[in-house]
Amino acid sequence: MTDDDRVFKALADPTRRFLLDRLFARDGRTLTELESELEMTRFGVMKHLRVLEDAGLVVARRSGREKLHFLNPVPIRLIHDRWIDKYTERHVSALADLKTELEETA
Amino acid sequence: MTTMTALTTQVYQVFIKASPERIWEAITTPEFTTRYFHGARIEVTPEWRRTTSPDGSEDWGEGAVLEFDPPRRLVHEWRSGYDPELAAEEPSRVTWEIEPQDGAYSLLTVTHDQLEGAPKTAESVAGTGWMMVLSGLKTLLETGEPLSA
Repeated sequence: MTDDDRVFKALADPTRRFLLDRLFARDGRTLTELESELEMTRFGVMKHLRVLEDAGLVVARRSGREKLHFLNPVPIRLIHDRWIDKYTERHVSALADLKTELEETA
Repeated sequence: MTTMTALTTQVYQVFIKASPERIWEAITTPEFTTRYFHGARIEVTPEWRRTTSPDGSEDWGEGAVLEFDPPRRLVHEWRSGYDPELAAEEPSRVTWEIEPQDGAYSLLTVTHDQLEGAPKTAESVAGTGWMMVLSGLKTLLETGEPLSA
């Protein structure tokens, strides 16, 4: 699996997107904190965090006795550069061309 | 208040297809940093890290180097000398960790913390700040070309 595959796979699940949103709202959380916001077993949340970590979207760091989870936005940025920019740019320029053409004929 | 605490530690991670030695060179020598670090000329010695504007005319400040362990670990003070309002805030800390991976890859982790006394800096480097620097560094090392010409 490529890096992109891992990121898309990780994002393809609503629970994992929810976890990312929670970390976006407040970064550096423990498993216990994240678990308290989900109707799910601790083991279930751990599994989802593991997929996010494998995709590089979440980085776990030790802080004393606690393990804190941080959102790493870089892979999403890279996906954005590679996949989103490319297609939206064309789209936008197609619309711009259409506008020019319509205005010229009007 | 939650947003403030959210930003006092920021962690960024990126895989780069380059050896730790090349990444180390790219983060410590001005010839490289001008091509991905907002044009800034950054020079790093075991004692200090000095930043100047792209043309070298303006001094953007100097910070102490706290750990210098090439090509694996660099820890230094951060002060946003490129902006007077941000520069007036307390210094924070940046840690660069470079770990070789299987194949020709390295994992670069940047942790920007101790930002409690620098909320505006925290806001400024979050979001696209570090991301632009790190994706620019990745592109430069992998393709030999800067991200934006």
